[in-house]
Amino acid sequence: MAGRGREEGFPHWLLHTFLVLMVLVTVYPLLWVLTIAFSGGQSLALAGLPAQPSKLDLLRAVTPWPERVSADNFTAVFRDQPFARWLLNSVAISAATTVLGVFLACTAAYAFSRFRFPGRRSGMMSFLVSQMFPGTLMLIPLYIIIVQWLGLGSSRIGLVLVYSTTAIPFCVWMLKGYFDTIPRELEEAAVIEGAGPARIFWTVVLPLAKPAIAITALFSFMTAWNEFILAATFMDKEEMYTAPVGLRFFVGGFSQQWGYFAAGSIVVSIPVVFLFLYLQKYLVSGLTAGSVKG
Amino acid sequence: MTAPASQDPRLQAVHVARFHAGLAAGLVIALGLSWAWLRGTASAGYEGRARKEAVGALTGLAGEVEQAGGEGDGVRAALQAWQAGQPAGTVGRVVVLSGARLEASTDPKDAGDRAAPRRLAHDEKPVFDRAQRMRGIVIENRDQEEKKPELEVVLEDGRFSMAAPVRKGGEVIGAVEVVRPAAPPPAAPGVPAALLALALPVVVFLPLRRAGRIVAGLAALALFAAGVAGFGAYAQRLVGGAADAIQALSAAGVLGLGVLLFVALGGAARFRSALVRNRVAYAYTLPAMVGMLVLVFFPFFYGILISFTGQTIYNTSAPLTEIWNGLHNYASILGDFSIVHRAEDGSLALSYGNFYWTLIFTVVWTVTNVAIGVSVGLVLALVLNTKGLALRPIYRVLLILPWAMPNYITALIWRGMFHRQFGVVNYARMLFGAEPISWFDQPFTSFLTALATNGWLSFPFMMVVSLGALQSIPADLYEAARVDGASRWQQFTSITLPSLKPALVPAVILSVVWTFNMFNIIYLVTAGEPGGATEILITQAYKYAFQQYRYGYAAAYSTVIFIILLVYGVFQNRVTRATEGI
Repeated sequence: MAGRGREEGFPHWLLHTFLVLMVLVTVYPLLWVLTIAFSGGQSLALAGLPAQPSKLDLLRAVTPWPERVSADNFTAVFRDQPFARWLLNSVAISAATTVLGVFLACTAAYAFSRFRFPGRRSGMMSFLVSQMFPGTLMLIPLYIIIVQWLGLGSSRIGLVLVYSTTAIPFCVWMLKGYFDTIPRELEEAAVIEGAGPARIFWTVVLPLAKPAIAITALFSFMTAWNEFILAATFMDKEEMYTAPVGLRFFVGGFSQQWGYFAAGSIVVSIPVVFLFLYLQKYLVSGLTAGSVKG
Repeated sequence: MTAPASQDPRLQAVHVARFHAGLAAGLVIALGLSWAWLRGTASAGYEGRARKEAVGALTGLAGEVEQAGGEGDGVRAALQAWQAGQPAGTVGRVVVLSGARLEASTDPKDAGDRAAPRRLAHDEKPVFDRAQRMRGIVIENRDQEEKKPELEVVLEDGRFSMAAPVRKGGEVIGAVEVVRPAAPPPAAPGVPAALLALALPVVVFLPLRRAGRIVAGLAALALFAAGVAGFGAYAQRLVGGAADAIQALSAAGVLGLGVLLFVALGGAARFRSALVRNRVAYAYTLPAMVGMLVLVFFPFFYGILISFTGQTIYNTSAPLTEIWNGLHNYASILGDFSIVHRAEDGSLALSYGNFYWTLIFTVVWTVTNVAIGVSVGLVLALVLNTKGLALRPIYRVLLILPWAMPNYITALIWRGMFHRQFGVVNYARMLFGAEPISWFDQPFTSFLTALATNGWLSFPFMMVVSLGALQSIPADLYEAARVDGASRWQQFTSITLPSLKPALVPAVILSVVWTFNMFNIIYLVTAGEPGGATEILITQAYKYAFQQYRYGYAAAYSTVIFIILLVYGVFQNRVTRATEGI
């Protein structure tokens, strides 16, 4: 009924034209990177141009379709470049961050949700406030602590420690919200059966919170996987680069290996793009809910 | 703590025992800290003194050799005379650049057929190079305002290896090179002394356990002072009385006193009982709290601390008190109002490095981006919300893709597309008959590239948020409005917009902060080109820290950014509260 009321608006073909145009603008850069990845070359031009290009040549040069379809860039980036190593670094760092970060967040969120103790409120508020600390203000002392004091520059451990602690506040707030919805009666029943707090946490609460934990884990993974500045600052040695730093290495400075960059980007992006599409509804509600509370 | 309670002998014994424990804990803190600090400065101060002594020996020799004319038998005699006054193991050599000659040497290896004077051997090239380097520094210093030290001192394997130029008639003709062993550092204040200063007051207190509360309290304070002062006097004699040694000792003393009072007045006991009562809760929060303290809160406060110092990459190990420069960084950031300067040809030009230029640029950058994000996102959401529109899920997924892509990849893609020679954007311009542009050569076009990139990746967030809010508006609201004869525009302004507000306001607040701190886009797309014109505050701070290595200055810059965000946060909180009230 409401739909009929809005029919007096724009005709659908107009809306479709508008949407198709917007989709073209949106998708074009992605097609561009796909084209370069499958071109088999390192040039960032989509097609070669003659000295006096005609309109047709120019049209060809902006059409995102490779002149010659080839998967050479994908094989070469793994075979001739240390990209596999960088990818491995990223996988190892992101996986370790996820495990450590989720462990830290679960325990803290459980305590904040279930116990009343002095410092609970101020602890949670301090987590929230820490989200306002600007990145570069943290970056300098973190660099001094991790690289110069602890000697963990160009080491995976250093990045894992930093990633998992900086992710704590977001994860704790998200998990606490979920723990709050788990009825306490279940735990009380376990207490009557004689289970201790540790047993309750591991065998009652955690299994019930599986969906929330899975989402928190995926977020932690994605943040670590996509992180660029800290990794670029901490990782000096080429063999310790993470995938983002490595991709930038292909096209940063005077290096112009756009083919490797494009192929690598696709390999790096595909898992997170799908993860993201799956997770975005949680992300939106989490973000906006968090900021309303703050 | 009423009067009758304090007369209860058992309670009194508890208080006295607390004083005893507090005395011990306070002493451990005060003595431990000052012991560690003294040990650090003893070795650091010693290295400075040893270096001074070694440089004195080097410049003395250089002076002697210059007086003897720089070459010939006189030089050899001067070297021998100098050698006599040096500790065993010292080696001096005089090198003359012309002809690459070793003019004189007291190195035991330079005997027999290698005895000076002779030509330098092939494997002695580093020696010759060093002499060349000295000449280079002297020549370079002639037309420099800031002169480099005209000598070279390296400490390796406990020996100073040094070189200084030898001049004759204003020209550098050679160099003296000296290797001189550095004596091992003196013993630091010993552990036994610190333990003695700790144990003595604690033992002396033992008989006082039967005394009254007031006597015991006064005795604990006196014993604490005696222990700290005794250790201080002993350590100062050993290390040599520097003013900051007294400062550090008294700081440790005050801290120890605080611990003493905390324990003695029952704070520790209350703290402990709270800890015990809630031990399960604290155990669960402990890992996260420790992580946050060490890698989030400590760095934050440490960052603010170093913003008051002149720390650079070269003095990170120096104590902060030595490089303290108060508000100097803040004054030079905030006190520099010269946004405009005169270029060499007399015309007015903008100073892109100026803080206020960067601030203005950052604000313009944030406002334009959020405006683009909100308007594009909102329009798309309204279109996608049309009832009965075909293919809606497909459009939605495709339009969300920019948000899903890692943003550093997006940034690098757009940088490639804006390439002067091979970028598709310039090809598209040529297709429409326009000239290709060097996008990163002009501040405005460079800004446009970053704007296009960020606009592209930020509209999906607004679209998703608006779409969610639109779908939650009950349809009968529109129905009722239409029955009342409201036009479409009236429906939009009085139903759609107000219903969007609760979702859009937090989203806008969030995206203002995101864009304000959007490091990756600026850093990877424009990189601040041309000449820092398109730098935002956060990338500028990064450049101060990691390209110029001025940590203190960059920390001050970041603190200013934090304060700006804080003011914004408080302000927006007030505004949203006020609007919620309506």
